[in-house]
Amino acid sequence: MFESFAESLVEAFGQVTYILPQVIVLIAALLAPLLHFATKDGKIVAGASFAIIAISAILVMIMMHTVTYGTAFGMFEFDPFSSLMMLLFMAVAFLTIMVSPVHVETTKHAGEYYSLIAAIVAGMMFAASATTLLAIFIGVEVVSISSYALVALKKNDPRASEAAVKYLIIGAFSSALTLLGMSMIYGVTGTLNIETIGAKVAVMGANWAFILGCIGMIAGYGFKIAAVPFHSWAPDVYEGASTPVSGFLATASKKMGFAVLFKIFFALFVIGSTGVFTLEFQYVFAIIAAITMTVGNLVAISQSNIKRMLAYSSVAQAGYIMIALAVMSQYATTGALFHMFTHVVMKGGAFIMVAALITAGLGEKIEDYKGLAKRTPLLAAAMMLFLFSLAGIPPLAGFTSKFVLFSGAIFVDGAVSMQWMWLAFIAVINSAISLYYYARVVKTMYIEKPACDDKIVVPAPFMVAIALCVIGVIVLGVYPEILLELCDKAAAALF
Amino acid sequence: MIDIAFFLVFSAILFGIGMFGLITSKRGVVTLMSIELMLNSANINFVAFSTYTGNADGLVFVIFTIAIAAAEVAVGIALMLNAYKIQKTTDVDKLSTMRW
Repeated sequence: MFESFAESLVEAFGQVTYILPQVIVLIAALLAPLLHFATKDGKIVAGASFAIIAISAILVMIMMHTVTYGTAFGMFEFDPFSSLMMLLFMAVAFLTIMVSPVHVETTKHAGEYYSLIAAIVAGMMFAASATTLLAIFIGVEVVSISSYALVALKKNDPRASEAAVKYLIIGAFSSALTLLGMSMIYGVTGTLNIETIGAKVAVMGANWAFILGCIGMIAGYGFKIAAVPFHSWAPDVYEGASTPVSGFLATASKKMGFAVLFKIFFALFVIGSTGVFTLEFQYVFAIIAAITMTVGNLVAISQSNIKRMLAYSSVAQAGYIMIALAVMSQYATTGALFHMFTHVVMKGGAFIMVAALITAGLGEKIEDYKGLAKRTPLLAAAMMLFLFSLAGIPPLAGFTSKFVLFSGAIFVDGAVSMQWMWLAFIAVINSAISLYYYARVVKTMYIEKPACDDKIVVPAPFMVAIALCVIGVIVLGVYPEILLELCDKAAAALF
Repeated sequence: MIDIAFFLVFSAILFGIGMFGLITSKRGVVTLMSIELMLNSANINFVAFSTYTGNADGLVFVIFTIAIAAAEVAVGIALMLNAYKIQKTTDVDKLSTMRW
């Protein structure tokens, strides 16, 4: 049944089939303002965007199931990797759209809000499926420009306006760096297609323009994934934006940066490995990864605002995922992709929890969480699960994904290798450091006395979203096979 | 034909001016202008390389970049206006209530 459906799709749309999921999400982006103009009801707009993105997600799943993979116009490729990333972006969008209508900081401009979210998701899907530098650049810029506006949508808040201006200046600077890097790579190889670039580099070898281009792109996309020393915007933006938006940016926007980095640099350094300084660049990535996780974890210790603490922990998680860029093996990439998914449920769950508590009238400071276990035992238990999963306590999802990711640094090509052992060692030490500040929040929630004994009531959509994340954290931790296989296939498509 | 090195040096100087303006300037609108300079210096690279290799991809890229830069600055001006309305300043140094 699915096969005949997929065949009829290909027959009807031809090449467009392979960008059909993105196009459907773009329709949601165009429809949302119109719907808000017609109905003036934010909930209807949210429901409609949710439904349209769900159609796209079902389409992606059917196309994955029937192995309908292919290339559209030589610019976008629907393969196991891009389809998996699309599902990740849409999962984050579902969580965000679910909780936004009932969140207290949500703007009155529902049409613009959901339109921007849908546009960002479409941009991410385009960037993850792109095969040329041009398509990647445009996809990433669609995401960036829409997110600047999304952060500023929390109106009349000085922190949000300040965060948006900082985000804009730093983001635009990173775009300029990326563009300069891309122009250098284009000048050296004379083409924009990533795989052709890899093949040409393998023959021609590296020169100064190629190295300059790589540095420009590492710096430019380093800003997008908030790697140290390009991380300074992340805490400000996550603190200033309304909390569902912070969660959305922390979980989805960063993953797009990684998808793009994987695509570009695996093509350059794995396909073109004979001609360029692969080992030197691997060490560059390894050092950035080590510094990123260490700085992220150490600075997170001293934070008193929970959103800033989660932001720095998100910087540290980016460091863990960067291990895959340093090792450049299929196994480590599988781990990185799996960690991206578990990061969505645990970090997304934590941000949704913060949003729920803000809606219930609590503050953003960690001390506001005193005695939460007495006031709302279920939510406190869920928050504890998310935080322990972020720290990597078995049997939760964070442990399983970190296990696969860190062992990817030790087992290279099926044998124990000493080369990246130190990186895995630093990552494990960092996980131990991170347990300190996560456990501090748990201690505040469970041991300290509450300031008042009022029960906390949060709207039902928050409960549903949090329950989904809790299920994800537990199921992915105990039974990771359901996703690991897909991640393995996706990683194989990159090599 | 002019040697390609001249184009590259020109674009590098332009990029340097833009970066200098971005780092030293306090005024929000001037930082937006600096960003435009940096994007355009990359455009010059693309056009020069495209002309020398006879490959039209670079020219296509430039057209898209110009459109993106326009969108970026349009959003940027809107954000600056928003910040000015709330905090009565677009001085980037004064927009620093959040630290660490």
